[in-house]
Amino acid sequence: MRINPLLAKEFHQRMRTARAPIVITVYLLGMVVLTFFMLYENVQGQLYLVQPSKSQQVFVLLSLLQMTVVAFLTPAFSAGSVSGERERRTLTVLLTTPLSPFGVLLGKVLSSSALLVLLVVVTLPVYSLVFLFGGAVPQEVLAVLGFQLLTIVVIATICVLFSTIALRSTWSTVFSYGTVGMMMVVFGALGYGLKTLYQQNPIELFTLHWSQFFYALNPLYVEAALQGAVSAKPAIWLTFTEFYAVVILILLIPSLWRLRPQWFARLSVRPSGSEKQYQ
Amino acid sequence: MILTQNLCKKYGRMVAINEMNLSISTGTVFGLVGENGAGKTTALSMLSTLSMPTSGYAYINGYEVSRDPRSVRQSIGYMPDSFGVYDELTVMEYLRFFADCYRVDRRIVKRRAEELLERVNLTEKRHTYVNALSRGMQQRLEIARCLMHDPAVLILDEPASGLDPKSRLEMRGVLQNLRDMGKTILISSHILNELAEVADEVGILRKGSLVVIAAIQVMLQHSSAYRTIWIQGFAPHGVMKRLLSQDQHVLEVCEQPDGWEVLYAGTLAQQAELLQRLVQGGVVVSQFREQPTDIEQLFLRLSAVQEGTW
Ligand SMILES: Nc1ncnc2c1ncn2[C@@H]1O[C@H](COP(=O)(O)OP(=O)(O)OP(=O)(O)O)[C@@H](O)[C@H]1O
Ligand SMILES: [Mg+2]
Repeated sequence: MRINPLLAKEFHQRMRTARAPIVITVYLLGMVVLTFFMLYENVQGQLYLVQPSKSQQVFVLLSLLQMTVVAFLTPAFSAGSVSGERERRTLTVLLTTPLSPFGVLLGKVLSSSALLVLLVVVTLPVYSLVFLFGGAVPQEVLAVLGFQLLTIVVIATICVLFSTIALRSTWSTVFSYGTVGMMMVVFGALGYGLKTLYQQNPIELFTLHWSQFFYALNPLYVEAALQGAVSAKPAIWLTFTEFYAVVILILLIPSLWRLRPQWFARLSVRPSGSEKQYQ
Repeated sequence: MILTQNLCKKYGRMVAINEMNLSISTGTVFGLVGENGAGKTTALSMLSTLSMPTSGYAYINGYEVSRDPRSVRQSIGYMPDSFGVYDELTVMEYLRFFADCYRVDRRIVKRRAEELLERVNLTEKRHTYVNALSRGMQQRLEIARCLMHDPAVLILDEPASGLDPKSRLEMRGVLQNLRDMGKTILISSHILNELAEVADEVGILRKGSLVVIAAIQVMLQHSSAYRTIWIQGFAPHGVMKRLLSQDQHVLEVCEQPDGWEVLYAGTLAQQAELLQRLVQGGVVVSQFREQPTDIEQLFLRLSAVQEGTW
């Protein structure tokens, strides 16, 4: 097994510039300072009476913050991945190599999420600090970490697919941030709104049902559920995964068509545009 | 090595390539010549599996392009007419990346890259970033890139386009070098003269159809045997035309507003006799000169004059 050449190339490229290490260091420092500050607030300068419930709040707050930052940062790395190759006219050559369209997409997803994965992993010691103060059990920390990684990969995949479908990076960026905004804000708000409706009118069970569904699509809510900070069952991460897996599969079809229209030629769906402009 | 059978490509109702039959044997350098929009890029992109033929077949190294595209991709190095490079990489890293895409054995990558850089005169630049290379150097790097997986066939779409005369010369040297490597090469160009010292065989493409295929020697022989003569002068109506058509070496007369363009297939002595006859016939000749022969134009005309005799 040989590692995906695109991943190797891009990771190497990114880590060579000073930017990546700086981003990681600054972010880590920020997290450390914030954690110390919040924990200090918690213990109020004395160490003989630590309140675990308050530490738990610190943990929830920190991880929600991290989730938000990471979710909005992911499109910055992935939304221009394939459209950028197209704009710089390097895609044609890539498509004449034995690297398959799946290989191209996979390489792009992995390379654009690599830095963020690193970002999440390096904050693990910070979480351990919280854990030291009784804020969380290790399983919880691992579950949160795992879910954050899953969310990064999901968002990166959707953005890479958008950048394959949209011919221009600008459009792909618009779609990508639209999707992240949808996941982070709209689905949460819908869940909350329907929940409120249900509370006003408890007979309408279907509003409760839909409220739970939308909540399950919101990474922040799912993460909170994994930490037991909200009433929902932790298993809603499965709904999350299933839903976005379906979204990804649907987006995969036009993406593959963009990369290899030949594969669809047998289906007699005559492409309306011309092939050349996509490559 | 490269074989096409009734290869067609249509864009909607537009026929971009019409019934192309081509056979290029191993080790041959074939030049595909045609003006802008003749269909060169279309033909080459079908051969390099980027687009599907509407009908017909194309075989590279024995593999059919639409049935076995993977094997075709492994057997070709393709250089598109307009290409980009990954400019955040050094020359060496650039070659290594493509070697990885082709799954070239890691142990031979470095040696092969150095060998190829030597061939394309970029050895000193091997640790330079690609964006610091000039266009001409990038074009030569692209050729090295095409060769990284040691393909049997090279498909180069206008490798010398956009280059100044000096870089063209360098590119020509590189291409001659490749010919000596024994690769089968298909090069497109819109200038035939450019291929004269590189190609073994030339095919002329016009509006999607291959009009002529000929060995380069035949082509050059004909271009020395045939001349275009430009005649300007004053003559009573019809006299000029009559005198010209009496000469058996005149193949074609093309009347222009201010003179006549004559396609001539005689010796220099015969040419002088023609001038003498014109003067004796009462034509006041003000200009009688041989024009630089545009080989491609000549061939297009010849193919029109003697349809399919070669
Ligand atoms: N994707 C496409 N959709 C529709 N028509 C196309 C497409 N690609 C090429 N054509 C048409 O096919 C014809 C041949 O184009 P092609 O690019 O192959 O020419 P060419 O010989 O490479 O020209 P040039 O010297 O300018 O590169 C042109 O008339 C062009 O308009
Ligand atoms: Mg072209």
